[in-house]
Amino acid sequence: MKTLREMLAEARQAIREEGPEELQARLASGEPLVLIDVRDPDEYRDGYIEPAVNISRGFLEFRIGTAAPDPSVPIILYCQTGLRSALAAKALKDLGFPNVINLAGGYQRWIQSGHPTVKDSPLTTDQIQRYSRHFLLGQVGEKGQRKLLRSKVLLIGAGGLGSPTAYYLAAAGVGTLGIMDGDRVDITNLQRQILHRTSDIGRPKVESATETIRALNPDVTVVPYPHRITVDNIAEIIKDYDLIIDGSDNFETRYLVNDACYLQRKTNVHGSIFQFEGMATVFAPDQGPCYRCLYPVPPPAGLVPS
Amino acid sequence: MQATEAVKLLVGFGEPLIGRLLTFDALGMRFREVKLRRDPNCPLCGKTPTITDLSIHAEGAGQACAIGDNGQGTSAAAGAPAAKPGS
Repeated sequence: MKTLREMLAEARQAIREEGPEELQARLASGEPLVLIDVRDPDEYRDGYIEPAVNISRGFLEFRIGTAAPDPSVPIILYCQTGLRSALAAKALKDLGFPNVINLAGGYQRWIQSGHPTVKDSPLTTDQIQRYSRHFLLGQVGEKGQRKLLRSKVLLIGAGGLGSPTAYYLAAAGVGTLGIMDGDRVDITNLQRQILHRTSDIGRPKVESATETIRALNPDVTVVPYPHRITVDNIAEIIKDYDLIIDGSDNFETRYLVNDACYLQRKTNVHGSIFQFEGMATVFAPDQGPCYRCLYPVPPPAGLVPS
Repeated sequence: MQATEAVKLLVGFGEPLIGRLLTFDALGMRFREVKLRRDPNCPLCGKTPTITDLSIHAEGAGQACAIGDNGQGTSAAAGAPAAKPGS
């Protein structure tokens, strides 16, 4: 029979180990990697290394396929002191994962080296139920839900595009929704702008939008901006948001949003619709084209309906 | 569609619509995808940008919404990629 010491020695021969500094460098570089905390859930809840997912040692072989769909991406494992994760890394190696790394000294040495950790506040019983269908999706899970709850999204326009988008994002539990629209609700809006109701006619759209969203999901903080986005306010407003959704209805705003988002390195989820045709794309600064790559200059004024 | 893209980007899964334009024709009920490339001559994100702040949007500057001279017209409103989609 092997002793624990022998098993650990065997594991360490088979796998690669790296220290906290090397992990920190990998995380800072933004290279693709999968970081897995193999401790028990209560240990993970007390604090973990961002962006680790928690798969306890006992479930590792069952869940690794979902957590690491691309086997060529490095998998880094850690536990409290680096022992459990050494055995876990060996198990993954035996499964055929070529690039498995154990964090030497584990979470303890990571903290002792002064590196940052995060601790999640517990979800309420209501939140666990409300988002339970998200938890069933491997790609979202509890961790993804927490990310959504921490996220800040700005919607430019609470009209035909902004209405369903804001509604879905609120339902999904995006923690902060900024809604910018200078218009008031008109009866002609109601056939498509589902955030507003008949009783809202004449009210600022951001007011009725705020009410509808709060009624749907009290987890969401709505920040209303009851005015148009302009060159004078855009930089100050978008700087606090993780993501901008352009649901505006005119070219002037689309160019302004595009330019400001690019200059501040904000990703812009763009959409537009005209009668029965619509389009959507994502402008991510320096990862793909921007709106001006598609349309370098605006179309002739007055030629297009708004 | 915008909401789903937002959730994917925020959580960090799936394949985002970066560099792809998805168009939707409700009459024929057809989706179409067009690949988009970055324009190296883009005045904003190209190699030698001429737009480095928002001053062209300032009132009276005119240029941001000046009349275009390259004949892109109404198709942009309808969402058809009039300009330079990649293959």
